[in-house]
Amino acid sequence: MSTPGPDHQSWSDAVGAYLLGALPPEERAGFESHLAGCPVCRSDVGDLQVAADALLVSVPLITPPAALKDRIMTVVRSDAELLAAAGERADRPAPAARVPGRPRRSFAAWFLRPGLALASVLVLVAGAGLAVVLSGGEDTRTVIASTQAPAAEVRLEIRDDHSTLVARNMPAPPSGRIYQVWLKRPDRAPAPTSVLWSTREDGSAEVAVPGSLEGVEAVLVTDEPEGGSQQPTKPPVITAPVV
Amino acid sequence: MQLVRRGQAAAFEVIYERHSQAAFSLAYRMAGSRGVAEDVVQEAFLNIWRSGARYERSRGSVRTWLLGIVHHRAIDALRRSFVHEKRRASDEGLEETLETGERTDVEAARHEEAATVRAALEHLPSEQSQVIELAYFGGFTHTEISDMLETPIGTIKGRMRLGLEKMRHALGSGQVSLG
Repeated sequence: MSTPGPDHQSWSDAVGAYLLGALPPEERAGFESHLAGCPVCRSDVGDLQVAADALLVSVPLITPPAALKDRIMTVVRSDAELLAAAGERADRPAPAARVPGRPRRSFAAWFLRPGLALASVLVLVAGAGLAVVLSGGEDTRTVIASTQAPAAEVRLEIRDDHSTLVARNMPAPPSGRIYQVWLKRPDRAPAPTSVLWSTREDGSAEVAVPGSLEGVEAVLVTDEPEGGSQQPTKPPVITAPVV
Repeated sequence: MQLVRRGQAAAFEVIYERHSQAAFSLAYRMAGSRGVAEDVVQEAFLNIWRSGARYERSRGSVRTWLLGIVHHRAIDALRRSFVHEKRRASDEGLEETLETGERTDVEAARHEEAATVRAALEHLPSEQSQVIELAYFGGFTHTEISDMLETPIGTIKGRMRLGLEKMRHALGSGQVSLG
């Protein structure tokens, strides 16, 4: 028989609430800490997990709208094509200017690196409300972009003949690099633009994206070496689906 | 999931097709609003797309893992200020309007599975099913439920655990497959 962990008496009644997601955040963290050292509670959680998991599939089934899939897949395809484009370059030798022996980190490597992948998830969560159409004036449509900067708020104001990225609380690009705007069209690699920009000291920026976005499915921003690139070398820091 | 891990959009699309209905249904059940449910599902799937490497077989089926993420995202949404007040106020009757017309065998099995679990939940003593509903689908903490029902927190926790134990017993091993 397993020996209860320390403080078992004070935590043993929390198993049900934990599995139902009913513990307040601080109490949840405390219970998880206790769980790590208490085989009795771990066993209880394991036994009752099946009942909690069953609740996941107990709801009446309803069909999601097709537009939801369109929005999600627009972002997914943009990411995948950026990944593919950067993956080809990742096989090339590292430029001479780089520190010898230090491999160039490709977008693919970045993408698959667990710690950073997790970070991108956390950031994505912070970027909730992605691609929500905010307003639809006669000649302006505004969508909220997803961003990898946790505190940043970025929107894309779309007009017939030009558009504007409006950023708040956006960190400046890393030293020696600059933000570059890309236009992603269906089934094509992201096309570079000459729009290179940085932020003001307060993290704000208004970036003009000239021309019509007709046929464009997403406006992307990556940070690139000064002078810009012909192919993205990093995953996007901003993704604004043009829906 | 291996293909999704390697960043293949087509593989991800298959995952979406397979699980989006259950995900949207769960999110809608919790949020009570179509718009919030869409946001929750979008966040959850994009989270999964960008973190495919985090899925481990030992943690259960892809569906359980994926729906667990939807559940957490929905709870976060519910606890974000205004949603608690706004949900359930609109979109009533959406089930009927969005219910699938023609069901595939898989969908039929899932409808049956859902009905089995709901029956197990409904057979619980009402004070136990009530706290499970409020916590799991309502996103309320034990403290909030305690205040709401004017019942000590210890009693609320006890009802949660007892309810889950009875559900596990009612469902039995293998009666409900979450594959």
